[in-house]
Amino acid sequence: MFNARHASTTRLALALGLLAGTAVGVGAMALASPLGPRKASSKETALEASHLPPLLTVPGEDLELRFDSTCLAADADESGAGCEVSGTVIAREGSGGEPVELPLEPAGGGVLTTRVPTSLASAPRGFTYYAVLRAEPGGPVAAVPAGGAAAPYRSLPMSNTVGVDLGAHVFGVGVRKGARIAFAPWGSGPRSVGLESGPQQTPVGASSFDVDDAGTLTVLDEVNHRLLRWPDGVGVPSLTPVSVAGTIADLRVATDGSAYALETVASPGRGPLVRRFDADGRELETVETAERTASRIELGPEGPLVLAHPSHQWLPLYVDGAPAARSQQQAHGRTGQPVAAGREVVVLRRDREVRVALVTAEGVRRSWRITSDTPLAEVQLAEVRGPRAVIVVRAYSDLEDEFIVLVLDGKGVVSRFAVCPEDWAETAPLSRFRIAGSWLYRLGSSPAGAFVDRFDLEVR
Amino acid sequence: MTLRRSIVAAFLAAFGLAAAGTAGAYHTHFVADNCNSAAPTPTSYITRDGSATVALRARFEGYQWAGGCWNDNDRDDSPGDPTEDPATGGEGGDCSGFTFKVWRESLTESDASFQQWGMLRNVHGPYTAARFKRGDGAPNVVASKAGLIKMDALASDGHIGMIWAPNPDGSDQVIEAKGEAYGTNIWTRTYRGNSSYGGVRRTGWSS
Repeated sequence: MFNARHASTTRLALALGLLAGTAVGVGAMALASPLGPRKASSKETALEASHLPPLLTVPGEDLELRFDSTCLAADADESGAGCEVSGTVIAREGSGGEPVELPLEPAGGGVLTTRVPTSLASAPRGFTYYAVLRAEPGGPVAAVPAGGAAAPYRSLPMSNTVGVDLGAHVFGVGVRKGARIAFAPWGSGPRSVGLESGPQQTPVGASSFDVDDAGTLTVLDEVNHRLLRWPDGVGVPSLTPVSVAGTIADLRVATDGSAYALETVASPGRGPLVRRFDADGRELETVETAERTASRIELGPEGPLVLAHPSHQWLPLYVDGAPAARSQQQAHGRTGQPVAAGREVVVLRRDREVRVALVTAEGVRRSWRITSDTPLAEVQLAEVRGPRAVIVVRAYSDLEDEFIVLVLDGKGVVSRFAVCPEDWAETAPLSRFRIAGSWLYRLGSSPAGAFVDRFDLEVR
Repeated sequence: MTLRRSIVAAFLAAFGLAAAGTAGAYHTHFVADNCNSAAPTPTSYITRDGSATVALRARFEGYQWAGGCWNDNDRDDSPGDPTEDPATGGEGGDCSGFTFKVWRESLTESDASFQQWGMLRNVHGPYTAARFKRGDGAPNVVASKAGLIKMDALASDGHIGMIWAPNPDGSDQVIEAKGEAYGTNIWTRTYRGNSSYGGVRRTGWSS
């Protein structure tokens, strides 16, 4: 009798335990699961604004500031109904003049514009400005750039300008073939570099690289989570594991051998991460960048910076030697890429024109205005080295493209040649060219693998 | 004591099995659990900023090869789907499915009208990236890359993304469904100058 009752009780206990365990297990996973029960969306109104700042101007240029806003109302229906945006530009002559308010006028399609008064547009020291945009009614208020009054856009008149007319680019003519100093087939082996591919996806591989003054070549193999290093740029690469996420990361290597990797995919509402590794691949630090995306990382005289968007400003990752919060980064945003001696290099491309200037706090020191009859795409590299500038820009038609390499000085073109694109696999967008010494290095790829070619700039 | 141990053992076993089963299965059910086959709503026009807001709603959502259904909770609800399988039922469009819905296109290729698809309508449309690149279908035309503006697209044989804004250095910000590891978002790209990409435009924009 006792045994029968005991057995019955045990069966009941087991059943209760199973039932409770199943319910709690499913419930726990449902809560943890992205598809689990959740509240109705509590999203706030989203305001995105794009603006192409007139960073460098020429005399007599008609300056209209245009802000292309996309406002997604918090209560938008399936059509994604927008909301109204209004705004004002606050501008100053130079960086310390009296502030002038310029109301933004709607121009249709979410676009707001204002014309820059001649007094500002023609000011010898240029003008600085930022916009304050408001989503109506009662939506978010956004400064463009995000640093607002602390880090406004700076528009400078070009001076000491050297004009360079490229004429019509003839594809296939003047192409220089570099010396191939490193090659790695696609794969996961010790001499390979990983290739990320998939249906309806451009292949991605060897997402970035860097070269130091000694010629040591470092390629970021994000697929296999490692760095490939070729001492002196030759021989068999050494492998250094790094805990970098994929996502078409950019890379820069400091003189102490530490590497900075800028990832491009971030958690919602967060900025992309920059991971710093020591020479042995140990992760030293992670810094969150301030804006929604960043397209480049560079090592400036005071530390690493990223080219952030939508502001298009260079933001420092460290301020006073410590990792900077997002607001600190934005408050220190710069229009140009900081280089030595307090100078910046400013780049502005328009359809068939590239403007490059070396600027200081006083204004433009030297500048180059490159015009072309052929459309010009991205400026991959613009470095001012002593009296010269090295610029790599892509010329394109609807069927062809080539990189044009220009070495310029105070009189015009010192040397010019073209480089075949050879960009079968995608890399970080602005990481295909690096300079070390008087050499130009190019990261390329084919269906067989990734490689680095070296070109002599003949600049001693 | 024995009784208590029995209850605890049964609870733990059931919890483990239920949790593992639930967690292991959830991500393949996004489409089945959330998406619909509702008819689109015809509209009389399409604007670039209106399409931009539709595209913006997909930002931070997932990517699914051959997919076309997403919600608006700013996260990938089916992360880590196998990339080579179009039938995993995960969240998100692929690049061409995303473009098809943002451009409000019809399933009938000869029809250039404007069809507003709900986010949760699981539809990819008839075009791959390569077909968009060729300008296939009545709504789509090949366009010169130099003249492309916001919400026009750059397409290769394997990918398509829509132009969001130009950058001062000549690259573009592109809104795209990039891949399983990326989801859908706005990134800087150099597609415009790359000769494997061509320009494609949806016809009929009002503004």
